[in-house]
Amino acid sequence: MLILLSWLTDFVEIRESPRELADALTMAGMAVDAVESEAGETVFEFDITSNRPDAMNHFGMAREVAAIYRRPLRAPSTACAESGPPAASKASVEIQDPDGCVRYVGRVFTDVEVRPSPDWMRRRLELCGIRSINNLADLTNYVLLEIGQPTHAFDLDRLAGAAIVVRRARNGEKLVTLDGEDRDLTGGHLAICDAERPVALAGVMGGQATEITAETRNVLLEAAWFRPSVIRNAARGFKLFTEASHRFERGADWNAAPQAADRIAALLAETGPGQVLPGQVDCFPQPPQLSPIRLERADIRRHLGIQVDDAEVEGILSALGFEPSADSSGWSVPAVSHRLDVERGIDLIEEVARIHGFANIPATLPAVGAAPEPTPLASEDARMRAAVRGLGYDETVGFAFISSDEAKRFGSGDPVSLRNPLSQLWDVMRNSAVPTMVRALEWNLRRNQPFVRLAEFGRVYRRSEASYEEPSVLTLGASGAARPASWAEPAREVGFYDVKADVSALLAAFLPNAPSIVTEGVPSYYRKKHAAGLASNGEVLAWFGELDPELARERKIRQPVWVAEIFLGKVYGRGLRRPTHGKLAKVPAVSRDFSLLVPDAIDFASITEAVGEMPDLDSVEPVEVFRGKNVPEGSYSLLLRAWWQRLDESLTDQEVNEFADELRSRLQSRLGIALRT
Amino acid sequence: MSIEHKTGRPIDELIRDGEDPELLYAELRSAFEQERGKASTPQQGQALRDRWLGRRSGLLSATNDHWLKAAPRELKPVVGKLQNLLRREIEAAVEAAARAAVEEQAQAEPDLDATLPGPERACGAIHPVRLALEEVLDIFRPLGYSVAEGPEIETFFYNFEALNFPPDHPAVDEMDTLFLNDGALLRTHTSPCQIRIMESKRPPLRYVVHGKVYRNDTPDATHSPMFHQLEMFAVDESITFGDLKGTLEHFVRCFFGPQTQARFRPSFFPFTEPSAEVDITCPFCSRSGCRICKQTGFIEVLGCGMIDPNVLRNAGLDPQRYQGFAAGFGLDRFAMLKYNIDDILLMYQGDARFLRQFR
Ligand SMILES: [Zn+2]
Repeated sequence: MLILLSWLTDFVEIRESPRELADALTMAGMAVDAVESEAGETVFEFDITSNRPDAMNHFGMAREVAAIYRRPLRAPSTACAESGPPAASKASVEIQDPDGCVRYVGRVFTDVEVRPSPDWMRRRLELCGIRSINNLADLTNYVLLEIGQPTHAFDLDRLAGAAIVVRRARNGEKLVTLDGEDRDLTGGHLAICDAERPVALAGVMGGQATEITAETRNVLLEAAWFRPSVIRNAARGFKLFTEASHRFERGADWNAAPQAADRIAALLAETGPGQVLPGQVDCFPQPPQLSPIRLERADIRRHLGIQVDDAEVEGILSALGFEPSADSSGWSVPAVSHRLDVERGIDLIEEVARIHGFANIPATLPAVGAAPEPTPLASEDARMRAAVRGLGYDETVGFAFISSDEAKRFGSGDPVSLRNPLSQLWDVMRNSAVPTMVRALEWNLRRNQPFVRLAEFGRVYRRSEASYEEPSVLTLGASGAARPASWAEPAREVGFYDVKADVSALLAAFLPNAPSIVTEGVPSYYRKKHAAGLASNGEVLAWFGELDPELARERKIRQPVWVAEIFLGKVYGRGLRRPTHGKLAKVPAVSRDFSLLVPDAIDFASITEAVGEMPDLDSVEPVEVFRGKNVPEGSYSLLLRAWWQRLDESLTDQEVNEFADELRSRLQSRLGIALRT
Repeated sequence: MSIEHKTGRPIDELIRDGEDPELLYAELRSAFEQERGKASTPQQGQALRDRWLGRRSGLLSATNDHWLKAAPRELKPVVGKLQNLLRREIEAAVEAAARAAVEEQAQAEPDLDATLPGPERACGAIHPVRLALEEVLDIFRPLGYSVAEGPEIETFFYNFEALNFPPDHPAVDEMDTLFLNDGALLRTHTSPCQIRIMESKRPPLRYVVHGKVYRNDTPDATHSPMFHQLEMFAVDESITFGDLKGTLEHFVRCFFGPQTQARFRPSFFPFTEPSAEVDITCPFCSRSGCRICKQTGFIEVLGCGMIDPNVLRNAGLDPQRYQGFAAGFGLDRFAMLKYNIDDILLMYQGDARFLRQFR
């Protein structure tokens, strides 16, 4: 919104420099975005908040200036010489829908001549970004910029019956608006009609049939107040947003309508040619009743923390056009039609605060009210995040949207879909965070990143019976080398056991016992036989593995990528494991190695299970797993190491040998595994 | 008889045989000097140490047992002094010999190239938005604030109606809000959680609410359809606008640096009254004007105000008794300002090169 300094000075004295004025207005809530100097004129560009339509014009802005500096405000002159028969004898106005149109003021001008406006008016309009058209159109625009009231000029001679009827349109009625478009009207539209047909879409745009032309001699000027919701619906329905609809939507001032009509009359009389017929045709069937506002003195202090002098309160409110009347505890303040946004005491307190100056309210700190509550799962989350960082995963965040195709491939059930998605690639809320991670991996592979470890803490979204659930999930992504390349270590590709180790490490803080491995029910977006889950007490806490190569290929990923998903709700739900200290042995453990030839069908878990519990047995670990040369097909060679330990005393060689024999015999009898020779 | 042999015999016997304690120790010293001269490798140094200073079978242990302990009472002081003197000399000499041997060996080794990098073992990065969040929480927690996140899928009531949005507020328009098919929506701000907390807990309340929010904005360098918001609010019987100013001034000083000043500018939000936008003095140019503050010396960073009485009432609190303030801002924007990030979309691409800067 552009405001001219010289135009403001028509209404209020200004002694400050443009910069000072801009700062003062900004600090009173009228944000000045720019101050430009153009051909000897200073132009302010304002960003006015939507609750202040009253300030979206020069007179309204001058009122703010007057309030800030407590200077007198001069209203635009409406004095003009009238002559001829009364306006009411030449035109009639009837409001049939007093809900949609609260007030309609008509003014009649005769013997006008359509011609260019005077230079000074054209200049002001153009500086405000409005193209000059002709004297009549310019007058309506000028007054719109001056006092914010939209008006419309009809060619009176083309109004059937010289009548204005404001009513709901009838279904099937048509109107060609000024932009040349055919508009089909319905009962939902408020129409300005003559005796026969709609001639304008109320508050939005006039009609071609009654527009001002070079031949126009007699004019009916409309200045009205329409209900904002009616105008908004019409403008949105036709996608027709005009200066007029913009003002009416935000709420105009019904008392500005007669003022605007008179102001135009005065300017027409001044710039001519034309005759202003005496009087207005003012149709105002039910003037709205505004409730008086109560402003308690104590409430000012209660909200702002300071007491503002009574004189200051009254001075500010009066300058803004209110008429406060004081009593013992505060003020009674009638609401005013130019500030429909002010209807409660708190609204008046805001007016007092912003003009008094936010800067004049001292900063204080509130006393701490109560002990803060612990954040749910904060410790669990902090531990998990620290572990993820420690394992070297870089934290990423991805969009929560995926495509419905991805939702089908990676999730189960109906995804939560968007009614107005940004694009078809983002039309549902993710039901799995894996596609998000795959996109991030793909992004990095396209940029030739040889080592990628990503982790995302986020939510997935799904319907529940009553509403929605948003469970948290931690997603890991890995591709490339097992470790960043180094001259000191041989290079190796990241693989299943790396990811398994990472996921296990992340779960360790939450589980009292090692999780069990699950190979049944692994989701199909993982590569078969290259993925698994980790479960505890039968509940799967994580899936991990290589992305299905077919899915990878579709995404132009040409190397194995690994993902893991850890269901944080289930993991955190277990709480952090409480560590308990056991005794430490005083003597070192003793080990024995067993070289075994194991059929492929027997996995490592079966071997540890077959070994089972044994006195003084500390652990059993795989030292070497080997297939190939010298190992028969269908079998693998396993070097198994078992450790024995007694807390307080050393084991004798003989004892350990007996243990080893027992272990061997268990493997033999339970699994039929023999020692390699 | 060799000196070695003599150390195995009690001193009184040796004296009886005509030996003199001082001469015995002198003989021992010269034997040591001779052996020390021959020890040049670390191994020989170790052997020398074992032979002379070994706890069980060293020569000095032997003299301690056979000469000192067995000395007749009248000779004890003399022998003790001689024994101690010799022990100190041998200890110092053995240590010096060992040091010299190690030194000699190090001289022969090639120089270590300490400038070669070790194999990388980096800790993972914290996402910049998270980094900013942690910093903000660290400022508010000591002030007594609890932390909440709330659901991202919200109802029209919590996201708009309860927050005093007029039914035809432009933010409600489809162009800004992402709706689900059943009329639910993706929260456009974190404020709905404010209502949920006020509904379920009694004042005094001090809360920080943070999390993802969504807008139907086409992505570009300054817009993202998903971003992170943080808001803090306090409700009590005597919270004032002055308290809001004090709290936020403290906050921006902590977050942007102690020189930072806040400027409160009247503004409009449906859910606060009075409302303000907060500009901070530009931390990049100290108000002299730069690209980031668009030459104004100020940067707009957050919106705030006193919670509108209608909002309190909608959440079931009596506005005659309770009042409070609320302030909110984009965490992404804070992170961008703090870490010099010029494109918000970098936050959501997962580019490892970008993220590793935050390790
Ligand atoms: Zn700057």
